Amino acid sequence: MSTARQPASVTPPPAAQEVLQRHYAGVASRFAAFAVDVGVSTGVFLAGLGGLAFAVSIVTRHSVSWSKDNIVVGIIFLAWLFTYYAYSWGGGRQDSRDGTAGGAGGCVRWHRSRPPAGVVRTLAFPLSFQFLGLGFLGILVQRDRRALHDLIAGTVVIYDWDARAARLRFLARESRTDPADPAQSPFTQTG
Amino acid sequence: MLEFVDPVDRLRTAGKPMTDPLELRAQVVAEHVIDLVVHSLDMNYLVRQVDLNAVIAQVDLDELLARVDVNAIVRRVDIDALVEQTDIGAVIARSSGGVASDALDVLRSQAVGLDEFIARWVARLRRRAYTEAPAPPVRRRVRARP
Repeated sequence: MSTARQPASVTPPPAAQEVLQRHYAGVASRFAAFAVDVGVSTGVFLAGLGGLAFAVSIVTRHSVSWSKDNIVVGIIFLAWLFTYYAYSWGGGRQDSRDGTAGGAGGCVRWHRSRPPAGVVRTLAFPLSFQFLGLGFLGILVQRDRRALHDLIAGTVVIYDWDARAARLRFLARESRTDPADPAQSPFTQTG
Repeated sequence: MLEFVDPVDRLRTAGKPMTDPLELRAQVVAEHVIDLVVHSLDMNYLVRQVDLNAVIAQVDLDELLARVDVNAIVRRVDIDALVEQTDIGAVIARSSGGVASDALDVLRSQAVGLDEFIARWVARLRRRAYTEAPAPPVRRRVRARP
């Protein structure tokens, strides 16, 4: 194990800055988290549907196919989406008044008050899409970056990931890469 | 009324000018002798004669360690500097992180950077000052009154 390297002179990327934690998340982070949530929820549903069709075909020896126009499949899909988002947005850790919970995107919601905030938020979420997505305007103009469904559910969205672990990973990367060659580092901001 | 008189007291007072220099000289001689003895000793030989295992066996390490506040010591260690200046970081990365974690870090950083970029432009359009991402106020814990 070699020692006595020169300290890295590179500023940690935002993901590795603990000072940013628990700040209100912006529109890009929220959209990225939502996109990941949509991908994960749809992927898991399709995988489950495929698995179910396979199981049914083995038991009944008849091939089963699901149509997206099938009303039953549509209802099951909606119920799955509701369960996924209500749990993701409301099933996180909770202390006396506040709690955090997150979807697969890693951008975590901080619920201000009631335990069923995840349920209310999920039910109110489609409202933000109304009138050309006017409900999302609050993310851009409000200080606490709350959309319409956040206002209804009494929730806010904050950055909440393990920034310390990210910082350690960043420092490890810096120690492995050649300090003279910034092209080796994925982060090229200089401090 | 009779008082107690030390019979040797007068003799001691009289002899003091003579004993003081002698005492000083004796001290110098003693120091010199100790120096000579210590230098003539083979300390390595002496240490080899000591059964250190027996000495260590007498020490209650549990009691000794119980007195040490390990958490306080660890808190004083600058982990970041340690990771930065050694290969410990690489070991941590190998054990705790993978390509997916690194990719997630990059994605999060890009997203936060984009958040800031958008927030700055919106603030500029609204002619408002923008310094950093706003945060919820720190809530003070209110102790319930009995």
